[in-house]
Amino acid sequence: MSDTTNITLDNVSRFYGEVLGVNRVTLSIPPGITSLVGPNGSGKTTLMNLMTGLVRPTYGRISVLGIVPSEPQKLFRLVGYSTQFDSFPRGLTGFQFIQSFLRFFGCSSATSGELASKAIAQVGLTDAATRKIVAYSKGMRQRIKLAQAIAHDPKVLVLDEPLNGLDPLVRAETIALFRRWADEGRHVIVSSHVLHEVDLISDRVILLTGGYVVAEGQIHGVRTEIQEHPMQILIRCDRPGALAARVFEQEHVVAAQVLPDGGGLLVQTRDADRFYRQLNHLALDNIQIEAVAPADDNVNSVYQYLVGGEEASQ
Amino acid sequence: MAVHKHTYKDYTGPRTPVWSRFLVLARFGFARVFHLKFLLLFIIGCLFYPLVCAAYIYLSHNPAFLALFNIPADRLPHVDGRFFYFYSIVQGALAYLLTAFVGPVLVTPDFANGAMPLYFSRPFSRGEYVAGRISVLLTLLSLITWIPGLVLFAIQSSIEGWSWMTGNLWLAGAIVFGLLVWIIVLALIGLALSAWVKWKIGAGALVLGVIFAGAGFGTAINSLMRTNYGALIDLTQVAHTIWSYLFRYDTGTEMSVSSAWIVLAVISLACLWLLIRRIRPFEVVK
Repeated sequence: MSDTTNITLDNVSRFYGEVLGVNRVTLSIPPGITSLVGPNGSGKTTLMNLMTGLVRPTYGRISVLGIVPSEPQKLFRLVGYSTQFDSFPRGLTGFQFIQSFLRFFGCSSATSGELASKAIAQVGLTDAATRKIVAYSKGMRQRIKLAQAIAHDPKVLVLDEPLNGLDPLVRAETIALFRRWADEGRHVIVSSHVLHEVDLISDRVILLTGGYVVAEGQIHGVRTEIQEHPMQILIRCDRPGALAARVFEQEHVVAAQVLPDGGGLLVQTRDADRFYRQLNHLALDNIQIEAVAPADDNVNSVYQYLVGGEEASQ
Repeated sequence: MAVHKHTYKDYTGPRTPVWSRFLVLARFGFARVFHLKFLLLFIIGCLFYPLVCAAYIYLSHNPAFLALFNIPADRLPHVDGRFFYFYSIVQGALAYLLTAFVGPVLVTPDFANGAMPLYFSRPFSRGEYVAGRISVLLTLLSLITWIPGLVLFAIQSSIEGWSWMTGNLWLAGAIVFGLLVWIIVLALIGLALSAWVKWKIGAGALVLGVIFAGAGFGTAINSLMRTNYGALIDLTQVAHTIWSYLFRYDTGTEMSVSSAWIVLAVISLACLWLLIRRIRPFEVVK
């Protein structure tokens, strides 16, 4: 457990009485953006609370860059946490909120002020910094929560549904911020329900359901390993019928469907890599291919295949 | 892999000592208390009786004043264990009221606003949270109990002289120890009960209710069962027993001193248990 570069969970379980929070989770999370994806009650928040020491594991061990979460003095110098729920002291302005909580990190009044201003500027709230939080909109509250998590310049950011309530423009800016932090070598752990955004921002995903990790890794890798659902590949071409006849000769192709507009083909294959390699040979017969793209190589599909089935059966 | 460069640099500036972090919470606690004018006035009002006592000590040693009103000095009550026993009863009762007012102000907003995850996602422990909050209560309660008590002792010593002071040094110890134990128990009760009730007024009523309900039930048990064990749940009886022992003033209480100490220890442990159960960074929603 002396891994000082990754966040590691070793066979971690957490039960709330008889209710399962997470069960037998073993993970090693490197720097970059990692998204926790799963339905409500799947254990995303519990996993984040475990990483930040707010909840202690019933079994197993956790280490955040080599630090045990039971040592808040060491841990929270490295970790910034933005919880899912709004909880703000009454009567404080955005600036006072950030500054006052920075004092717990041992910063002097002047340093707290500087760091608070910097964090507020990063989330684009400088103009509203002197207004009371109670008058903030949902999106502004999200951003001030984000600011309190980043104010002490942490190396690990744990953000529980940070994109909720943000308008598209701020969403894009926030995602760019995540990317910048990740590129600096930080760990950015995000939970989200907005799957297309997860797809867009994540270096890797951790898919949870019912307290279990059902998949983890890069999306493409996870998708490739789902054997029971053949990969879907969309091919835009001028003669989809001819191409369909050629692709059916391949034993790994299980279905080929001409698109309703007649401008392409949707192929299902058990071996996408092999299909891509063979595609040039398949298209030799004067078939003009305009575009080739995976149709279900994304978080949404992975989520549907791994979690959707379970949800439906419940 | 998206990460190529590790350009992140940690904050390396100066930090305040770790041991002093709980004072951040205490500072905000004082601000919250002094923001309420009623509490400020009540704290000032709590110093009225010590002021009367100080005036009494001074005037009872002032021959000109005694002569003016023709008061014989030997007929005035002495400043002794009995004097400080009654001082403790008055200030101890006021301390209880202050706890009922201040305890909920310090703690209930944190629970009502769900602030625990905010505190504990900082380099800040549960122990430091309790220390931060209890230090506010202990400071305020000290200001109206043992500190003015010691000032009274100092005034009496300065008037009576060195020999009186050395001969009655145990009184100073009894003032500090007896009232310190009392305010620690009160602070624990105030925090523990406030942590369990998210409504400020309800929490205050509960803190007050403990003493009245205890006294009422204690009397009822004694009457119905024809025993003295009911006094064990009467916190006022417990405190009076300990103070009468410490100030060497026999009040004829039927409770043993050891029983009183045990009751205080049990109450303190129960309050600590309640605090440990409640002061958590998350809330399990059932």
